[in-house]
Amino acid sequence: MIGHNVLKKCALPVLLLASSSAGATMAEQSHRTTAAGVDLVTYPTGVKDVVTILGALPAGDAMGRSGNIAIPTLAGMMLDRGTKALDKFAIADQLDNVGAEIAFGVGTQSLEIRAKCLKKDLPLVMGLIAAELRTPALKAQEFAKAKQQFIGSLEASLQNTEGRAHEAFGRSVFPDDHPNHPHSIAEYIAAAKSATLDDLKAFHAKYYGPAHMTLVLVGDVSAAGVQAEVAKAFSGWNGGQDYIRPAQPASASGPREISVPLSDKPSVSMILGQVTGLKYRDPDALALRVGTAILGHGFTGRLMGTVRDKEGLTYNIGAGIGEDSIADGAWDISASFAPALLDKGIASTRRELQKWWSEGVTESELADRKQGLIGGYFVGLSTSGGVASTIVTSIQRGYDVTWLDGYPEAVKALTRAQVNNAIKTHLDPSTMVLVEAGSVRRE
Amino acid sequence: MNHRVGSPTRRVAALACALAALLGGAQTRGVYAAAASGPVVVGGYTFVKSLGGIDEYHLDGNGLTVLLAPDHSAPVVTFQVTYRVGSFNEVTGTTGATHILEHLMFKGSENFNDPKGNSVKQFLERVGGQFNASTAVDRTTYFATIGRESLEGYIAIEADRMRHLWLHEADRQSEMTVVRNEYERGKNDPENVLVEEVTAAAYEALPYHHPTIGWKSDIEHVAIAKLHEFYDTFYWPNNATVTVVGDIDPSAALALIKKYYGVHSASPQPIPAVYTEEPQQSGPRRVLVKRPGELGTVVIAHKVPNARDADQPALEMLDAILSSGKNARLYRALVDKGLALNAGAGTDLHRDLSLHTVYAALAPGSTHEQVEDALVEEIAKIKTDGVTPAEIARAKQQFVAADAYKRDGTAAVASELNEWIGVGDWTLYVTFPQKFQQVTPADVRRVAKQYLNEDQSTTGWFVPVHPGAEKGS
Repeated sequence: MIGHNVLKKCALPVLLLASSSAGATMAEQSHRTTAAGVDLVTYPTGVKDVVTILGALPAGDAMGRSGNIAIPTLAGMMLDRGTKALDKFAIADQLDNVGAEIAFGVGTQSLEIRAKCLKKDLPLVMGLIAAELRTPALKAQEFAKAKQQFIGSLEASLQNTEGRAHEAFGRSVFPDDHPNHPHSIAEYIAAAKSATLDDLKAFHAKYYGPAHMTLVLVGDVSAAGVQAEVAKAFSGWNGGQDYIRPAQPASASGPREISVPLSDKPSVSMILGQVTGLKYRDPDALALRVGTAILGHGFTGRLMGTVRDKEGLTYNIGAGIGEDSIADGAWDISASFAPALLDKGIASTRRELQKWWSEGVTESELADRKQGLIGGYFVGLSTSGGVASTIVTSIQRGYDVTWLDGYPEAVKALTRAQVNNAIKTHLDPSTMVLVEAGSVRRE
Repeated sequence: MNHRVGSPTRRVAALACALAALLGGAQTRGVYAAAASGPVVVGGYTFVKSLGGIDEYHLDGNGLTVLLAPDHSAPVVTFQVTYRVGSFNEVTGTTGATHILEHLMFKGSENFNDPKGNSVKQFLERVGGQFNASTAVDRTTYFATIGRESLEGYIAIEADRMRHLWLHEADRQSEMTVVRNEYERGKNDPENVLVEEVTAAAYEALPYHHPTIGWKSDIEHVAIAKLHEFYDTFYWPNNATVTVVGDIDPSAALALIKKYYGVHSASPQPIPAVYTEEPQQSGPRRVLVKRPGELGTVVIAHKVPNARDADQPALEMLDAILSSGKNARLYRALVDKGLALNAGAGTDLHRDLSLHTVYAALAPGSTHEQVEDALVEEIAKIKTDGVTPAEIARAKQQFVAADAYKRDGTAAVASELNEWIGVGDWTLYVTFPQKFQQVTPADVRRVAKQYLNEDQSTTGWFVPVHPGAEKGS
């Protein structure tokens, strides 16, 4: 039998050693430059023949609030529906014939670019990404189809308890002018119906450009080769806008209870939380994150350990901090409960929250969680997708890649006092917002 | 844990295995050609075979199957143990038992448990492991991706809970409501309900009839003694396959596995087999699900041969041509024409009869009849006119690229191997893509004609009931 203490003491130092022996630091391994105005990072790994591409461009939902709010998503949906030179089937043909993939997604502040290809096909794929971003065809017929599909997917999401709970929570805790304040599904549907192609063309002209765009290529890549391809594909492109960074963080607005009634839902989605007023880079943010992980991360977090494991009230409960990479974010506990167990589940959740908030975390919990976070950080970097995602997010947070090498030490250096102080300073259970979505009784 | 309950669904992107050798001119193919150094000799093991850089051994003392796939591209390892038991092995009254037992596998074992501070979740979260478990119709799997230095610790825990699990009534009671909430979450999604009801209608006798999570009343009432009986019937080394993918020294890995699993004996009784056979279906079946919702769904299902059958590569090709990308037939016929928001085709691969489905989510303004007719018409076109060599060539190339993609990360490799282990032949991980490359247009037309017949079909509609409307007809 292997003893607990032996494992606990050995795991971290050996892992760090293994990581450094496997290669250089993140900073040494990566190469960051500007190519045709695009912030470009290349990161070679041991994977053979495969290139993973991840990019971000500030053209997300938040950029639509000065006009038609459906336009950012519709603009993203139009990118793979043909360029000035190729229709959508010709693009699909070129990709399918080499098994390459390009996908676009629209988030709160970013248009996300995801692609994967064999090394030999990088020139083709980079050329197609550039053409789709720079010169989408934006044809009326395709626009009508995109609108129909967007409206359909919005209508389908009206019955999703988790989505509706998050929508209600975000709308309650963030002020109307905050980039993290979501619009309602009904508002999106109405906006999509009235959206025009001219609106979309104007949005594309204003927001699509290299000025604040990041591209990260990971895998079987060389910095020089990638730089040449990106410079060629994006040569002569201009424009682009920065992310929206509110001058003042949102402040907690006081306790509220919100019900989103949905019929015939055997499981209710619950969210309890508040704004933090913190961005990821702010001084207390890491301490609050580690403290939050002790409360609600994984199967050994306090919430899973009590509300699920001991009391059997839920399948899933956890705590986290979201949407804080660019603007100040929100902190929440999310869970699901059967309607008959909802009151009991909320009471247990509040009890654990109050205990954590008032008494703080223990030295032992902190030591274990720090070790787990650092170990998980390295495991997460064992795939190209994990590396690419980590780099893009770090850049959005305003860090250089070099910061990543310091992450384990930053976590290691946190003290119990710092963590508990961050919890007390930035959270207050008495002001939190409670949302229940599903077949709730308090309709 | 966060289990995936259900059966594996095959998709081009998910399934694609290494075929670069066939098209790229190389002489051999290997999942980890650079890392593979061939089988090793370790006392107590019998080497069985090597294929695609994966070596199979049997532990002589108890019949445990071991698969090793070395990959030194990152200092991590994925370790998984696959038990050849799933919801297919359940009967009325104990449906969902496999899945409840999977939950109870995290409640502690004799030597690794919460009071000792070394339970599986405590250990794996402390070392930053990515871990979980999943239950499907034909197998149950426990897995983790961890730093290579944590491998021994995890093997010790997995081996201990194979035969020394705590099975306490108090744990069953608290976990029953956890599982019931998992069941309830699934019922929130009307499309999930539709698929369950279509599956139940398609299988009359085979135990694929009931959902892997079980019927609610069975979840609530199964006795701890029954779960103990289930555990003592199926959780034995000779009913399990251990897979290790990643930064390992094969000899050292085998030695560790023997050290911890070698203490167990083989099962005292043979592992029971299911002898039930599905009777021939004698006409089309239809299912209607009415629930609150906004947009409808149509699913058309057909039973097809087991996952190991020689016709499966052609069925896979058929699905790729129907549903992979914007050039796929269902996209052009339904999505691009505004009939559906999305449409696709796939097969739930099983050890016994598998289930092939084509499906579409209705776009606003379209009707179930229109969408069903369009799906049926696309199948009919393939039966009548076949598919083109260009469509075949495109799908084959997608497989080649997907093969390279899947080498990126140990967890993805282990996960796919797991599904093939579950259906009874891990070597299909290597050989299925080779067979896929040999599929011809005639094969695709033949399997469409042979298996996708109306009299063998089960068609399901999800019909949304808008708030305030009457539910009954």
